[in-house]
Amino acid sequence: MPGKRHDIRLTNLAVGYGGTPVVSDVNVTLPGGKITVILGGSGCGKSTLIKHILRLHDPLSGAIHIGPHNIMELTRRQWACLKLRLGLLFQDGALLGSLTLGDNVALPLREHTRLKPREAYELAVSKLALVGLEKFAHLYPNQLSGGMRKRAGLARAMVMDPAVLFCDEPTSGLDPINSAELDQLLLELKERFDITVVVVSHDLASMRTIADHVVVLGEGRVLFDGSRDELEATRDDYLRRFLDRLAQERTAPRLSTSRLDPSLLKMDCSELWEQVQE
Amino acid sequence: MNQHTDAAESANALTPLTLLGSKSLRLFSEMGAMFLFCLHAMRLIFSSWGQFPKIIRQIYFIGVKSVTVIALIGLFTGMVMGMQLYFALSLFGADGFLGTGVALSMVRELAPVLTAIMVTGRAGSAMTAEIGVMRISEQIDALEIMGINPMSYLVSPKMAASIISFPILTSLFNLIALFGGWLTGVLLLGANEGVYFYRVQQSLEWDDISGGFLKALVFGVVVCTVSCYQGYFTHLRRDAVGPEGVSQATTHAVVMSCVLILMSDYVLTSLLW
Ligand SMILES: Nc1ncnc2c1ncn2[C@@H]1O[C@H](COP(=O)(O)OP(=O)(O)OP(=O)(O)O)[C@@H](O)[C@H]1O
Ligand SMILES: [Mg+2]
Repeated sequence: MPGKRHDIRLTNLAVGYGGTPVVSDVNVTLPGGKITVILGGSGCGKSTLIKHILRLHDPLSGAIHIGPHNIMELTRRQWACLKLRLGLLFQDGALLGSLTLGDNVALPLREHTRLKPREAYELAVSKLALVGLEKFAHLYPNQLSGGMRKRAGLARAMVMDPAVLFCDEPTSGLDPINSAELDQLLLELKERFDITVVVVSHDLASMRTIADHVVVLGEGRVLFDGSRDELEATRDDYLRRFLDRLAQERTAPRLSTSRLDPSLLKMDCSELWEQVQE
Repeated sequence: MNQHTDAAESANALTPLTLLGSKSLRLFSEMGAMFLFCLHAMRLIFSSWGQFPKIIRQIYFIGVKSVTVIALIGLFTGMVMGMQLYFALSLFGADGFLGTGVALSMVRELAPVLTAIMVTGRAGSAMTAEIGVMRISEQIDALEIMGINPMSYLVSPKMAASIISFPILTSLFNLIALFGGWLTGVLLLGANEGVYFYRVQQSLEWDDISGGFLKALVFGVVVCTVSCYQGYFTHLRRDAVGPEGVSQATTHAVVMSCVLILMSDYVLTSLLW
């Protein structure tokens, strides 16, 4: 059972910065060969969790297993080898600003393979074609839109044919057509190459298309861990609101308190403002 | 490399003596961290053949692009020295020693120090800013995820390029400064040309040349280490964060480089001569 090898197991994991936990008591298995979607409110620690799984920061406590390996106990060399099989799309792309898209995507190939520079570049362009950016390979990241940067980041994350692919909000900032295509791409990757995909997302439509397994974070812990069908059937209040896109119920209306009083303006704009209002 | 300790924070409320103590402790631990950082970067210079093109690119940036400014500074320093020394020496009727004065002051002191300070302003600050921006925009994290050691990708080529560029720039400075001294001393003020060059040639010992080179080498390592270190750990700064952190790091790198250049210059001078 080839997929089984790349299960990611998190045991009693606590992650955070400078000793303060952001998410703790994480006991979750992200199944190998499947797509896991991590949901949760903004700022609840989804990106933090992913970065800790990839050891960009050390967890406060607990263990992380990728396949049979406890990654905290691997030697430096073993981790370096394993890391080549892991890809991460950062939330804002994190492309190197001084390299063109083509060079950005080709960089891991140039550093880690014996491909000739030319061949590495061609392979990179073919990966860019997967996300529809082959015509932009000569441009620099700051010449692109946010959504394009994100797609290029995905091409870079995929360039070494990872066994586990982490995507931090791949579809945010993308139009519906591109989002749908990206979903298809992830599904194809899973089916054709049997890779494990972990997607952080706010996009419920996308979650419903791709998720096999769902983890919901909130209040500094794991609120839900199970299959998509189990999630859809949940009766938990917060989760229902999340799934049905309902705002939090409030007792008092909140807009009244936060209105700006025009008489506080340093410049006298009242006349013009009134004309605009009318 | 945890130079910011909690002890230092609580010390602010204590006596001036403890403040002094905690400040110097932090300074020393930062120096130690920088030393290790430097060793690490040097070791990684030879990590692979792939470093070679990156080093060439950095030599272009640190070395080649500094040529104009070094030439200008060298020319005018030489001209000023030629003039001042001529006035001073002719008071004693010793204007024949103009060549000696210009050559020794340039080769031993001014060329390595002024070159290093100019390159700090031109390239050192740029290194800090570049690496700092990469740090705060997660580009360094991205390198790490891709299995590319950011030290060997970003810092080591700069280190190698500094080690190569600084001595060459310093010799260029020397050459042009001697020419500048000739311009004012000989051409403008009328010292004897033959005597000027004879004195230059005769006064310079091999020790002077190699000492000057050694200084340039040390300054190159110091400037590169300080600049890259400040950029690399921008995110750990406590005085500022984000873009302001990068600007603070850059300022800090330039000031610290200049101070360290002059301090190590003193140490080297007293050891060498
Ligand atoms: N470098 C950091 N240092 C300290 N705290 C941080 C750092 N990065 C994030 N945090 C804190 O960690 C918490 C979680 O942040 P994180 O970026 O993981 O949220 P997120 O779930 O990815 O949110 P979003 O959906 O908006 O991307 C936030 O409260 C944030 O303030
Ligand atoms: Mg996030």
